[in-house]
Amino acid sequence: MNRVELRNISKSFGGIAALSNVTLKVMPGEIHALVGENGAGKSTLMKILSGAYTKDTGKIFIDDLEVQIRNTHDSKKLGIGIIYQEFSLVPELSVAENVFLNKLGVTGFWMNWSKIKKKAEELIQSIGFNIDTSLKAGDLSIAEQQIVEIAKALSENVKVLILDEPSAVLGPQEIVKLFDTLKKLKKEGVAIIYISHHLGEIFQIADRITVLKDGTSSGSLLVSETDKDSIIKLMLGRSLDKMYPLRDPNIGEEVLKVVDISKGEKVKGVSFMIKEGEILGIAGLVGSGRSETVRAIFGADKPEKGRIFLSGGEVKFRSPWEAVRMGIGMVPEDRKQHGVILSLTIKENISLTNLMGIIDHFGFINAKKEKNNTIELIRKLAIKTDTENQEAGKLSGGNQQKVVLAKWLNRNCKIMIFDEPTRGVDVGAKIEIYNLITELSQKGVAVIMISSETSELIGMSDRIIVMRKGQVQGNLTKKEFSEESILRLSIGVNKNTVSG
Amino acid sequence: MKAGLKKYLQIVIKYNTVFIFLIMLVVSALVSDVFFTSANLFNLVRQVTPVGIISMGMLLVILTGGIDLSVGSIVAMVGVLCAFFSQTIPLPLTILASLACGLLVGSLSGYLVAVHKMAPFIATLALMSIVRGLGFIFSKGAPILVNENNSALTDFGSGSFLGFPNPSFVLLLIFAITAVLLNYNVFGRIIIAIGSNEEAVRLSGIKVALYKFSVYAIAGGLSAVAGILTTARTAVGSPVIGGGMELDVIATVVIGGASLSGGKGSAINTLLGVLILGMIGNIMNLMNIPAYSQQVIKGLIIIFAVLLQRFHTDKN
Repeated sequence: MNRVELRNISKSFGGIAALSNVTLKVMPGEIHALVGENGAGKSTLMKILSGAYTKDTGKIFIDDLEVQIRNTHDSKKLGIGIIYQEFSLVPELSVAENVFLNKLGVTGFWMNWSKIKKKAEELIQSIGFNIDTSLKAGDLSIAEQQIVEIAKALSENVKVLILDEPSAVLGPQEIVKLFDTLKKLKKEGVAIIYISHHLGEIFQIADRITVLKDGTSSGSLLVSETDKDSIIKLMLGRSLDKMYPLRDPNIGEEVLKVVDISKGEKVKGVSFMIKEGEILGIAGLVGSGRSETVRAIFGADKPEKGRIFLSGGEVKFRSPWEAVRMGIGMVPEDRKQHGVILSLTIKENISLTNLMGIIDHFGFINAKKEKNNTIELIRKLAIKTDTENQEAGKLSGGNQQKVVLAKWLNRNCKIMIFDEPTRGVDVGAKIEIYNLITELSQKGVAVIMISSETSELIGMSDRIIVMRKGQVQGNLTKKEFSEESILRLSIGVNKNTVSG
Repeated sequence: MKAGLKKYLQIVIKYNTVFIFLIMLVVSALVSDVFFTSANLFNLVRQVTPVGIISMGMLLVILTGGIDLSVGSIVAMVGVLCAFFSQTIPLPLTILASLACGLLVGSLSGYLVAVHKMAPFIATLALMSIVRGLGFIFSKGAPILVNENNSALTDFGSGSFLGFPNPSFVLLLIFAITAVLLNYNVFGRIIIAIGSNEEAVRLSGIKVALYKFSVYAIAGGLSAVAGILTTARTAVGSPVIGGGMELDVIATVVIGGASLSGGKGSAINTLLGVLILGMIGNIMNLMNIPAYSQQVIKGLIIIFAVLLQRFHTDKN
C-alpha cells in the first residue's frame, strides 16, 4: 500500500514543461527524499500535491484511492501538510495563535487562550523543543519559526508531511532534534517527503530517494543500495570531481578591523580583522549572533558600541548606503526578504547596486549599457533565463541567489560579506558560487563568509572564527580546521570538559 | 474559437484601464449628445486638471507604498495664500512663495514618514487637519480675492490655447515629466523598487529615506500647483475647496491600476484614471443625476474597475 502516489504527473508553465510524467510513491512510515538541482521540478511537484498548483495531467492517490486536489484546502482535508522554505507564519500573531490559526475555534465560540496556549506548548514539546508560545512569531529566529511550522502541520493530523529544505536554516544540534521528530512521526505511520540538497542528511535519515532532473524522474532508489556519487551523477548528469576550487591565497594588507562591536543581546563585543584576498569564515549555531554582527558592520543595524577601521582609518556607518560607498557589499541571509526583489526583473535587481554606473548627469538610464551589463553578468553566473527582463520571482531559488550575487559583482566591492550564500541551493549552483567567491578573493577582495555548513567553511576559508552567544569563541587557522573543533567551540564544549 | 476568445479576454484584462476608458467614451457619447461638443469637453478637461496634476504626485507616493491624505488641504491653503500674496507681492514671487508653501507641507510629511518612520496614513492625516485649519486661519474663514491688478494670473487661469484651457497644458507637462521619470530615470526606478521591497533596496546601499522624503515633497509641490491654478481660474482663494479631493486623487490612481501596497502603477494609466473619473462625473451631470446618487454610482464604478484589475493580477 502506498500512503501517497503521484502517477504520471505533468505540468507546464506557458508552454515550458516543468514536469513530465513524474511518478512518486511513498509508503506509510517512510521517509522519502526528493533531490535534484534547482529548477528540476521538486517544488512544482510538491506544490501540486499541496494544491498550490493544479496538475495538467496525471493522477494522485491517497491510501490507494484517487483524489482530486484543486486547492490547498483540499490537500489539507486529505491530511497533507507542507512546510515551505519560505514560512507562512503571521509575524504579528503569537506562536500559539499561529499553530492553531486554521482552527482558532477549537474551544468553541469564545477563545480559550490558556487552552490554546497549552495545546501549542504540548505540540512543540512533543517534537522536542521549548518555545514560549506567547511570543510573536516574527520575533523568533528562523530555526524556531520552522519548528512552529512543523507544530502547525502536526496540529492538523497529517498523513503526509512535506518538508522543503528543512535543514537549511538549522544548526547541527537542531538538525538532530528535527531528525528525532521525523523518526517519531515515521513510527506513527506518517509518510514524509524530504526535499534537501544535503546528501549527507539524506543518507542519514531517508529510506528511499527519488532524483528529479529537468522535470523527469529517474525512479526511486533504496538508500541502502546507492551512494552519494551515484546520486550526484543522476542529479547533474555528470560526475562531481571536487566541490571546492583550488586556490592560491594571495593575502595582502589588513582592510577591515572590527573592535568590540556590540548590538543588543545578540552581539556582545565582537572583534576580528581581515586582510585583502583573505576568506574569513564565521561559524556558529543559528542564533549565535553571526548575521547580527555582519549587519552591524554593514550599517544595516546601528551598533551600540565598538569601532570599525577600514584600511586603518576609523569609519562609522549609519546606513548601508555609507558602507557600500566605502566598498563593502553584503549578500544577506534572507534571500527573499532582503536579497532579491521578487517583483522586479533580473535586470532591475542587478542594476540596483550600481545605478550610478549606468546613468547620465540627469539620472537617465542608459538602456543599452544596462542591458549589456546585465547580459554579461547573466552569462558569467550562468543564470538560467531566456531574457534579462524575466521577473526574479519566477526563477528558482538558486537562480535567485545568483541574481543577488550578480548584483554585488556589479559593484566591485573591496570587502564582500556572504551570509549563508549557498542556503537552499543545489550542488551545481553551490560549486558555481564557490568558484565565484574564490575568484573574488584571488582578485584581492576580502571575503567574510557565514555558513551553517561546516564542511563548506572548512573547504573555502583561510581562517575561521567561531561565534557563540554573541561572542567570538575561537579563531582557527587552516591547520586547526576540523568539523569537531568547530562544533566544540560552537556549542561551548572543550576537550577537557568532555574527557573530564 | 474558445481559445481565441480567451486570448481576447486576456488582452482586455491586461489593458483594462484603456478599455474602461474607451467604454466610458462610447457610453458617454451614446447617452448624451452634448458630451462630444467642444464646450463640454473643454469643461471636462478644466474640471479634471487639478485632480490630474496632484494624481501624478500621489502616484509617486503610492508607488513607494505610501499615501498622502493632505493634498486637498494643501490645495485650499495654497489657494488662499496665493490670493493673499497676490495683493502684496509681485506675481513671480507670489507663485514661488505659494509653491514653497506646498513643498514645505509635503516635506514635513516626508520628514515624518522617512526619518521618523511614521505610518504615511497617520502623518498625512494629521497634516490634512493642520493644513486645513491653517487655510481657515490665514483667510479668517472667508474667501480672499485675487488682486485685480494681478490680471496676468487670472488671465492665464481662465484663458485657453488651441481650444484647451491653459491649466490643462500644465497637467500635460507634469504628466510627461512623470512618465519620463518613471520609465527612463533612476528616480523612478528606485521609487518602484522601494515600493516592491524597501528593505532589499536599503541593503543595496540606496538612501531610501531620501527618496521617500522626496515623493511627499513632490506631492505637496504639485498640490500647490493645483491650488495656484484653481485660484488663478476662479480669481479667488477659498479655504473650503479641495475637501474630499484626496479621495478623488487616490481613486484615480487606483483606477489607473496602481497597487496601494506599492511597486506597481504607471503615469499613462493614472492619466486615464483621471479622465475616467472625470467622465463619470461629467456624464452624470449632463444626465441631471442628483449629486447624492452620483456619489453612489462613482463608488460602484471604482469597485468595478479595481475588481477587474484584481482579476488581472490573479491571472498572473
